[in-house]
Amino acid sequence: MMHDARTLAARPISAPSGVGIGLRAPHLQRVLSERPRVAWFEVHSENLFADGGALHAAIEHVRADYPLSLHGVGLSLGSADTFDDEHLATLCALVQRFEPGLVSDHICWGAIGGIHLNDLLPLPFTREALDLMVTRVQQVQDALGREFLVENVSSYLTFQHAEMSEWEFVAELIRRSGCGLLLDVNNVYVNSVNHGFDAHAYLRAMPRAAVREIHLAGFTRKTDLAAPLLIDSHSRPVDAEVWALYAEALDLVGPVPTLIEWDQDIPELEVLLAEADRAEALLNGHRTHTA
Amino acid sequence: MVTAPTLLELQRGFADAMLDRGGDLAQWVVGAALTPAARLQVYSNAIASTQIETLCATYPAVRALVGEAFFEAAAMRYRLHHPSARGNLQTFGGAFAAFLATMPEAAALAYLPDVAQLEWLRQQSALAAEASPLAPATLDDTLSLPVRLHPSLHLLTSAHPVLTIWRYATAPEGARLQLDGRGEQVALWRDGNEVAMAALDAASFTCIATLIDTRDLETAHVAALAIDATFDLAVCLRSLLTHQLIVTG
Repeated sequence: MMHDARTLAARPISAPSGVGIGLRAPHLQRVLSERPRVAWFEVHSENLFADGGALHAAIEHVRADYPLSLHGVGLSLGSADTFDDEHLATLCALVQRFEPGLVSDHICWGAIGGIHLNDLLPLPFTREALDLMVTRVQQVQDALGREFLVENVSSYLTFQHAEMSEWEFVAELIRRSGCGLLLDVNNVYVNSVNHGFDAHAYLRAMPRAAVREIHLAGFTRKTDLAAPLLIDSHSRPVDAEVWALYAEALDLVGPVPTLIEWDQDIPELEVLLAEADRAEALLNGHRTHTA
Repeated sequence: MVTAPTLLELQRGFADAMLDRGGDLAQWVVGAALTPAARLQVYSNAIASTQIETLCATYPAVRALVGEAFFEAAAMRYRLHHPSARGNLQTFGGAFAAFLATMPEAAALAYLPDVAQLEWLRQQSALAAEASPLAPATLDDTLSLPVRLHPSLHLLTSAHPVLTIWRYATAPEGARLQLDGRGEQVALWRDGNEVAMAALDAASFTCIATLIDTRDLETAHVAALAIDATFDLAVCLRSLLTHQLIVTG
């Protein structure tokens, strides 16, 4: 499938609004042929890091009809030793080529000493880690020449030498770096259970004006351990508690674009669209309410 | 009192714990209801699982040939010997064929590394850049120019019937494998959203391999004729054109 320079150049960057879903391999053909009624699509940036392939070809078409979000999982912003300039350069090239309305990655680290663990690993909530994250986020925003969003991650452990809470760390990072916040409401809930804090207080501590996007996803409950642990598996429908927290988040930040994430045991497209409809109803209710 | 680790020390310790290299990271992890070890285990399981699933997706025929348990053990050992070097996973697994060749437990399956290499090349074909095919009518005008073949076109030469084995390994149940012991020379390329493969005769293989290296038709022709004096260049070029493997630029 060929790149049509004329249509791409003529098309303005469109920002997602309403509720989007992830564009994943099992749904590519149906999305291309049926053009489902969904507000926007999210793609994992790293899935586009090869020179070409089926996903590249599909996105050339999808982006003509839908706003896009490029969501990264591999920038490893919080690595203490080096920052992967090549990774950032590849991301910049993708942003230029596909003109996404939103570009994001996570408040985490994933690589050290040249070894990538290919996961979203927890940072210690220390001043040292905060300073590093602020520098790195500013570096990314400078390279991209546009606003970049960072997302709060789920975690299964915290560190003894933390100097602040997670919500203080996130809020301070956003404030000092000037980037946008991708507020993952499911991750707030998962961490509130895993580490025993008040999810409502966390939401209230977020810098409301900086929230550019919300993520919703399903978690799984690990039952073979000595205590409850929620795993951010992206393999299930959104939990009732998370829907409630989402409504609360909308009250605080207004109707920001929202993504339904589903990355494992991916169901039929209809299931994702139904989840998106449910979120859209809450979002619309809020739009009417605030109008 | 022990001084808290710097971020660098903490992350090095974390990576060591994830790659079974020991260390004392657990003392810095809040235990509460679950032990630090149980919490770290959640991460090491997730990291191993992501990387092993990546190898499963890249190497389905190898997995079918050796069975799930052997594959998982090999993949686990591979990821510790060849840790991922990128934040994206498309390049993870590139040394798996060479790694399998060093595994004593796999020595009895002499063809296994070549099957793995074929699967790695399948992935390279699937993820190669796009290019515009040359229209057949323009071929005669451009033959004197450097010939550019499609970036998704890859070649593999094996002392084993590697394509026949791959097809057997990935075929529905009931297929029977008949081998005559001869090696195969294989071309792979992207055809739509699939990867196509074909076994080539030695002269055609040499012609295409030389074209990829030199982009010079005369050199490729001479190299192919040295293998087989009856080699027909026109037939080989027509086949490449028909499959849209000669591209502009």
